[in-house]
Amino acid sequence: MNLLQQFVNGVVLGHAYALVAIGWTVLLGVARLVNFGHGQMYMLGAFMTWWALAGLGLPYPLAIAVAMAVGALVGLVLQRVMLQATMQQNLVSIMIMTLGFGYVLHGAAALVFGSTGQIMDTPLSTREITFGDTWLTWQDAAIVVVAIAVFVVLELTLERTRVGRLVRMVAEDPKLAELAGVNVRSVYLGVFAFEGAAVALAAAMVGPRTPILTSMGFEEVIMTFVVVVLGGIGSVWGSYLAGLALGLFTAFFGALVSPAYTTAAAFAVLIAVLVLRPGGLAARAR
Amino acid sequence: MSGARDATAHGAAAGARAGATGSSGRTVLEATGLSVAYGGNTALALERLEVREGEVVGVVGANGAGKSTLVNAIAGWSRGTPRVAGAVRLDGRELSSLPAHLRARAGLLLVPEGKLVFGEMTVDENLTLPGGVHVAPGRRYYDRESVFELFPRLRERRGHLGAQLSGGERQMLGIGRALMLGPRVLMLDEPSIGLAPRLVSTVLRTMRTLASDGLSVLLVEQNVRAAIEVVDRLVLLERGRVVLEGPAAEMRDDPRIAQAYLGTGHET
Repeated sequence: MNLLQQFVNGVVLGHAYALVAIGWTVLLGVARLVNFGHGQMYMLGAFMTWWALAGLGLPYPLAIAVAMAVGALVGLVLQRVMLQATMQQNLVSIMIMTLGFGYVLHGAAALVFGSTGQIMDTPLSTREITFGDTWLTWQDAAIVVVAIAVFVVLELTLERTRVGRLVRMVAEDPKLAELAGVNVRSVYLGVFAFEGAAVALAAAMVGPRTPILTSMGFEEVIMTFVVVVLGGIGSVWGSYLAGLALGLFTAFFGALVSPAYTTAAAFAVLIAVLVLRPGGLAARAR
Repeated sequence: MSGARDATAHGAAAGARAGATGSSGRTVLEATGLSVAYGGNTALALERLEVREGEVVGVVGANGAGKSTLVNAIAGWSRGTPRVAGAVRLDGRELSSLPAHLRARAGLLLVPEGKLVFGEMTVDENLTLPGGVHVAPGRRYYDRESVFELFPRLRERRGHLGAQLSGGERQMLGIGRALMLGPRVLMLDEPSIGLAPRLVSTVLRTMRTLASDGLSVLLVEQNVRAAIEVVDRLVLLERGRVVLEGPAAEMRDDPRIAQAYLGTGHET
């Protein structure tokens, strides 16, 4: 067996997981909100990119931009609908509403795009990089680069900019943020727009790796959930590390044991980590 | 609760007000017909409260008298979900329909009781202004540097997290953050809680200094002994109503104030 190949696969997969999860990480960290429609928003992002590429014939970067714009809009609409529940931090309502929203998106996408799988080819996904008997596509390399870039920009934005500070104020104590003059509603709306745009970007990058289906949302949201919780809820670096770790684990487990049981094994690891480190990987020792 | 007693109290309040010699500045903050209810329970029923320019008004009363409820209602803010009715005017402008963050930007600043700083952010980061604040004439907007001049202790601690600060430092930080938004009225809810006596007087004396610059201060205090030293006027709340009101000098000798002083609260 080619260990280096498994390592490369794991790194690519890990960055893909991390990139897909980033919107939800911010969502949880900032708004203390969940979005069980995340997977279907991923699906929508993938199909928007595919449609812009194959249907409109747009160049790949422009197709990504279209998908992100639609994603941000969907995020805004979703949050606008849920605003009342968000302001009251009514988590149960939000869970059900986002779950329902996901199914609505799924149904709408199936009506428009049909239920058959599509292949999303980009200029990068059809070209390979080989060294020895190890290979990856340029798309895979781009996933790693984009994921790292998004995490670095996000971390810098949250830590170093005024917008980042206002977002962290709302994350810690939205009520106190109101007294500091912060418009909490618009922060929530902005965070959801970011979630929508980020997951669409992830879909545009990661989507070409596999055939895309309008029914693929649920699998995505499950793996995202593992990454976010494993990383320590709301921790940006934690979810990057968790994504990477999960990717490597999945690649090696799939190669050494069996790909059929990787999701089950990933959850077993998640439970073990949560027992040992209840705050996730990034939790500080207390 | 006795109606007769209330009537006497209002009579006394009116008399005291007529004899007031305190600040003669114009009215900055005026709250009228302010009522707050939690569920079916009325927590506050206030006829009228005003704070004039450069005036420090103390609100005192026992636990549960409605002191916090009063300043929260004026700020349009609460951690719970009360029903609030009534009018709040700042420099004659009606603010009742505005959400809390817009009242704050309009110059009505509250430093709340309890959690008043962002614990996971540094002192510097706590002193961050929201976007879209335009500077209005006639208001002083402190920048971070002048907050540090007012509270040198905060400069020393600027890299520390809010959660690492002492109670006194948190008060200073809460006040500093409010000052950056250009307050017309600064409302402090129990700033002395958990502070050493020396710190209490530091914080309260700072209020006096700010007031001499023209800022109006509404100070909620259980520590009447400390409050009465710095306020111009004192308002005594009982069961959500104003039962006594007058210049600090006159209130000092009132038996009802003496009662609150001694902490012999006659209610829950």
